[in-house]
Amino acid sequence: MRLALVAVLVAAAVAGAIVVVERDGSGAPASASRSGGIALARSAASLPPPAAPAFRVGKPRLIDGHETRARSAPVARRAVAFAEPGGRGQAVATVEPTTEEGSTNIVLVVGETTLGGGSWVRVRLPSLPNGRTGWVPRRALGGYAFVRTHLVVDRAHLTATLLRDDRAVFRAPIGIGVPAAPTPPGEFYVRVKLAGFDDPFYGPVAFGTSGRSAVLTDWPGGGYIGIHGTNAPELIPGRVSHGCVRLRNEDIVRLSRLMPVGTPVTIR
Amino acid sequence: MTDPTVDPTLDELAATLADVDADGALQETAAAAFPGTRGAFLRRSLGTLAGITAGAVVAGEAAAAPVAATENDVAILRFDLVLEYLQAGLYTEAERIGALTPETLAWARVVGAHERAHVRALQDLLGRRTVPSPGFNYRDVTSDEDAFIKTAVAFEDLTAALLKWQAPRLDSRSIVAAAVTLHSVETRHAAWIRHLNGLSPVTSAFDKPASQERMARLIASTGFLTRRSRTALNARPRFTG
Amino acid sequence: MGESCGNDGATDLGSSAVRYSRHGLVRTGGALVAAGAVGSLFLVRAQPAGTAPSEALDREIFSFALQLEYLQAAFYAAAVGAGSLRGDVLEFAETVAEHEQAHVDFLRDALGASAPEAPEFDFGRAIRGERAFLDAAELLENTGVAAYNGQAANLTKPSLAAAAEIVSVEGRHAAWASALAGHDPAPRAADPGEPARAITATIRRTGFLR
Repeated sequence: MRLALVAVLVAAAVAGAIVVVERDGSGAPASASRSGGIALARSAASLPPPAAPAFRVGKPRLIDGHETRARSAPVARRAVAFAEPGGRGQAVATVEPTTEEGSTNIVLVVGETTLGGGSWVRVRLPSLPNGRTGWVPRRALGGYAFVRTHLVVDRAHLTATLLRDDRAVFRAPIGIGVPAAPTPPGEFYVRVKLAGFDDPFYGPVAFGTSGRSAVLTDWPGGGYIGIHGTNAPELIPGRVSHGCVRLRNEDIVRLSRLMPVGTPVTIR
Repeated sequence: MTDPTVDPTLDELAATLADVDADGALQETAAAAFPGTRGAFLRRSLGTLAGITAGAVVAGEAAAAPVAATENDVAILRFDLVLEYLQAGLYTEAERIGALTPETLAWARVVGAHERAHVRALQDLLGRRTVPSPGFNYRDVTSDEDAFIKTAVAFEDLTAALLKWQAPRLDSRSIVAAAVTLHSVETRHAAWIRHLNGLSPVTSAFDKPASQERMARLIASTGFLTRRSRTALNARPRFTG
Repeated sequence: MGESCGNDGATDLGSSAVRYSRHGLVRTGGALVAAGAVGSLFLVRAQPAGTAPSEALDREIFSFALQLEYLQAAFYAAAVGAGSLRGDVLEFAETVAEHEQAHVDFLRDALGASAPEAPEFDFGRAIRGERAFLDAAELLENTGVAAYNGQAANLTKPSLAAAAEIVSVEGRHAAWASALAGHDPAPRAADPGEPARAITATIRRTGFLR
């Protein structure tokens, strides 16, 4: 009789009527019909595979560890640039939203500070004397643009070198100003890129900088120093221009692919 | 943000976009935010409908034969791309300027890397139907801790809500399958930045969707969209020579 | 209206207004946005035949999801009850326990009589120490996200909308658990979906199920 009872109990346990709660190391189900693992597996078996996604996102794109070399911003509204942040010091210059050519006037941002009244930024000014900076309210400027490039013009060796992340990626011989109309030394930046004009004197493409001739102050358009091509490549390298930095046409085209507007320019 | 209490109207958004959007692509995209009044929106912003052109084939693993994506899906994806441009730009600039706290900068670095990857993925998918990035002016939001946190929390929460609103409105199941993989990451971003700033990472057992119109209003309220600078011209130089 | 992108076998081809199945598990009030014209734009994958969303498939998917939610709800309730959590981690467990129970309630309600019952669980040491608890929570939440993301496009539109509201919260839970554990709350730029088989294997490896 006892044996029959045991048999019934075993049969009942196997059938799942009695749940044996006993955990072994593997977590194997003690009873099939109450097994969550088996239920989950059965449920999973009736599901279709995931739909193939239309695209996959790649790896996260970290910014390079390199600092960006420079920051520029468009002038959003006319503003007075002051010698000190806060607008109380001496007025240094006025910046306008557009240039003489009708391009957006951009300024290189070289510093910033926050005062009670708001943020002020220190900008390199496209005015004489060369290398002048002034403080304008942040709200006078538009959104920042960042560049990793830096153009170094070497007047002694008559070369222009473009650095990207401090590594030279371009070098070419140049023509610079004659002694009577020299290319000014100092810190400048590229303001505008001009193309589609039909003037072989300037080559296929030309860059305007913030630099100005200290001697040709009555020059139409303000006497800005440009970086451009030439119809007299045989003069390069040499001291031959009215202050502009001239490159052979194949070199200026190559440079135009590597150097964005806003690139700082150092003329040594 | 300029004034979070002002609720920009459809007209204001249309005017903002007309001001900054030279080729009409952005207006087409923004019109997707207002599906009920799409035609009216486009008339207001003086945009023209982008032409339908053949697009790129989506690369990927072998499956059933590819079929054409719908205009509906293209509009949704382009809207998402503009939103990703905005967020990627915001976090990239914050990282570059480096004025926020180390903890917030660490968040911006990781999350910015994700948003930049999202931009790339959406551009690649859209191919010739992509839109260029608008110009952005983030003002002091990228250097002021409080302003940045407020803005980032708002955008991460609302982006997750937007993707929930879009998912059942997509025609293509394969785009749904891809979109949900981005959606859950945005919810992680949101929970994370909340947690860093003493806010509850999750406020309800169910997160509600939010429409494209609502996101368009948030974007307009920031005033971040600007005209792109014109620094390349067809004009004759007048340098000293 | 032309054929849809193969995303919904129950779409009425003759009607341009209804672009999703009316026969989904979750009912909504009206039609969603009417679809625009199909154009020759970029190409996306169509899905293989036989996987079209339907109410029957919604039930299978929600049934699977419910079993995951049962596990999570029981896990957090057990962790709170075990009494070894404190401070931020306890607050996390209590909050999430409420959410997971709400998810269980929703899915049971949606499935009605066909809802599976909760099995028994044994969480062992995973609920008795902060480190073990957080690691297990992170795993369960991440697995939930992968499960929902894997099945999302197999759901009818209304069910997808509902599932999105849930997976959104799972994603937040996952990031919260990771943050508390000192891990990266958002380790990837996208969270891929996984097939139900892989989800099952991950869950069974925990040993929480019998």
